[in-house]
Amino acid sequence: MKKAIVEFQDFSFKYKTQTETTLKNINLTLYQGEKVLILGPSGSGKSTLANCINGLIPFSYEGEITGSLKVAGVETKDASIFELSRHVGTVQQDTDAQFVGLSVGEDIAFSLENRATPREIMLNKVDFAAKAVGMEDFLLEPPFHLSGGQKQKVALAGILHDDEEILLFDEPLAALDPAMGMAAVDLIDKIYREKDKTVLIIEHRLEDVLYRHVDRIILINEGQIQLDSTPDELLRSGLLKEHGIREPLYISALKNAGINLSEMEHLDCIEKLDITGQKQEILNEMNASNSYQAPEKGELLLHVENVDFSYGERKVLSDISFDIYRGERIAIVGKNGAGKSTMAKMLCGIIRPQKGSITMEGTNCLTLSIKEIGRKIGYVMQNPNQMIVKDIITDEVSLALLLNGFTKEEIDKRVADTLKMCGLYPMRNWPVSVLSYGQRKRVTIASILALSPEIIILDEPTAGQDYKHYTEIMNFLEALNRDYHITILFITHDMHLAIEYTDRAIVFADGKCIADDPVFKVLSDTEIIQAANLKQTSLVTLANRAGIDPEAFIRHFIEVERKERAYES
Amino acid sequence: MNLDKRLFINVIPGKTFLDKLSGTTKVRLFFALIILLVATWDFRILFPVLVASLIGLVSIKPNWKIVGSLMAFIIAVNLFNLFLIWVVTPDYGRNIVGGSTVLFTFTSRYILTAETLWYFLIRFTKFMATFLVSLTFIQAITPSEMAAGLYSIKVPYKIATIVSIAFRYIPDISRDFADIKISMQARGMELDSKKAGLFTRLKQNVLILCPLIIVSFERVGNIANAMDLRGYGKGKTRTYYSEHEETENDRLMKIIYLLLYLSIVAVIFFRIFFPPEFQVWAPWI
Repeated sequence: MKKAIVEFQDFSFKYKTQTETTLKNINLTLYQGEKVLILGPSGSGKSTLANCINGLIPFSYEGEITGSLKVAGVETKDASIFELSRHVGTVQQDTDAQFVGLSVGEDIAFSLENRATPREIMLNKVDFAAKAVGMEDFLLEPPFHLSGGQKQKVALAGILHDDEEILLFDEPLAALDPAMGMAAVDLIDKIYREKDKTVLIIEHRLEDVLYRHVDRIILINEGQIQLDSTPDELLRSGLLKEHGIREPLYISALKNAGINLSEMEHLDCIEKLDITGQKQEILNEMNASNSYQAPEKGELLLHVENVDFSYGERKVLSDISFDIYRGERIAIVGKNGAGKSTMAKMLCGIIRPQKGSITMEGTNCLTLSIKEIGRKIGYVMQNPNQMIVKDIITDEVSLALLLNGFTKEEIDKRVADTLKMCGLYPMRNWPVSVLSYGQRKRVTIASILALSPEIIILDEPTAGQDYKHYTEIMNFLEALNRDYHITILFITHDMHLAIEYTDRAIVFADGKCIADDPVFKVLSDTEIIQAANLKQTSLVTLANRAGIDPEAFIRHFIEVERKERAYES
Repeated sequence: MNLDKRLFINVIPGKTFLDKLSGTTKVRLFFALIILLVATWDFRILFPVLVASLIGLVSIKPNWKIVGSLMAFIIAVNLFNLFLIWVVTPDYGRNIVGGSTVLFTFTSRYILTAETLWYFLIRFTKFMATFLVSLTFIQAITPSEMAAGLYSIKVPYKIATIVSIAFRYIPDISRDFADIKISMQARGMELDSKKAGLFTRLKQNVLILCPLIIVSFERVGNIANAMDLRGYGKGKTRTYYSEHEETENDRLMKIIYLLLYLSIVAVIFFRIFFPPEFQVWAPWI
């Protein structure tokens, strides 16, 4: 008989600050040694569920609990967070904020320090935990020298010391680039196998988590458990779209080809999935609707030629050249530190190239001030909270116009137009503080659009968003591009985004531009994928396994998806 | 913020003799020296401390570019301060040292006496020694060692933690600030001193602070959760990973700081029970 380690019984929770219950009548038992994915869109209650298990509820977030929750036999209502932290080790989403120590060793030791463990014992435990995650050579490094993936490893090491039976990962993939995300899923799996722990992963990125086997998936939405089952059953169920979770791409591709999934086994693992029998079906479908046309190019808008830039000794960009045409949607991809953000800063005029030139509609950008460039090229940061400075939506949107010295009438007109474009006009007098994250994002985009720039650059527009909000934002941007011919540059790690919403990808690696091609070409090129820390999409794996040309297969997939989307809207 | 090189605050422990002492030793030594410097005006004590602190500073191989300019600034301020005292009270040394041996007469009021010069020398030595001791201390200690050291002198660990946490997150916040500034500049905010007046720039910098505060609060919430989840604040006591065991050198320095504390007691004892006629000692009196 398996031993129950987490037991929810008729459990409900309501935050003190909210009127509705966030978790409704949860009945759920997790067993020792299981690896479970808790899946759900944002606002579904999945993070609340996690916080109930690790004790942040009710310790840090007050509210009303009814029913019972036992973790390792302890009723959480009566336990302190400290008692629970001995059973549950949590790795949080924000890799940066949870790094409390000033060096790797110190951060791994943090919980031991708090338990007043003598230093001789502590040193051994830290070495041991660091080895388990492969960070033993970095013990003295400060956090400023580490990548997001390394910080997450450190956080994981910090909860491996001994008695924590449950490891809880709260959106472990949110802050990582695709390759790091894969490495993280792999490491979690390795620890799970070696250390004999119960592993809970909270995520909405299903396909990425399924890179390694999970025993059970619990689908949560609207505070209730929608499904508690095996991955295969979930993938067959068709519940994913309904609950705002993105289906793995290879599953969508199989469905597009009209293949019946109910007969197939190992749906959760593309490596084991047997599709030799379905090759003909896929090929037939591809040939039936082969209508790819390269998008028409508009006029040349921006010309970047042989640009170099270094910070002191360190060369960040070397010999970069590319063109941008009016109305294009471009993905700028590459791993952190590859030069993407530096390139964006340069396009905005914040920093200037040390060699080479940037020309915009025939004007040399080097002769323009930041302010002048700002009217042509807008820049939207990743976190909307970093951009919003005013309380009221209208004020925020008119700020840039005010700063640029427009007349009162002109400002009023432009602000009204922009707000209408962005669907914010009815809310124009609302305070920003009542808006959701997605709405704030819209406000920041509106505040840039008010200047009617030719190009907008968006830094990770979908980071931390679930599929529903992601789709909302991206469809909005797509409409801006389609209806108002605004050229959009996406700086992104998200290959789904690049596949579905862009025409071309410019790939950076180590300060060089290593590819400038249509997305399907980039994604079927293994060398580029490795150099840029991208993840090979499952479409390529699927195509290879079926013996179909990956490039044609991805191109076809993009076409089908876009047609569907055009049809839906 | 670039923390790669040896800057003002070091996060990675250095390799020199002073660097390698434990946080406890460093903090206790520092307080012994500072209290002694505050308690006495005796040149026979001040001068050796000045020399020792100078040797200490040189021994940790600081970044002279930064330290040098800082020292030049402090020396200049100090000398200017002494000059102002002289302008206001030219015969300052009379009451403090006792006597008025005129060395040079500018006008009937502005005279330079040996006693005033002697007093100024002492004052200069005292301030420079205090400065150098503090500078060496800050340069030779990491924030984590500082927390451990403060804890060792019975400062509650929650207060000691504030020190190390602040240093952990200052670079993050300054990066946020830089990012926000960039986005505001791109929206047309003029932060160039040549193009916008001081008042406008000030007002716009305040505007940048709003999102900075909001973003920082988000972060604070996450940090607090991360600490709670790993049992911070549960126990009455705590140990420190960064605080290594006492070494041979630590024991040597322990003798030194114990002697220093003894001399503080002695200095205060003599002050109270055998108050000298004049505030400072001079070799010729």
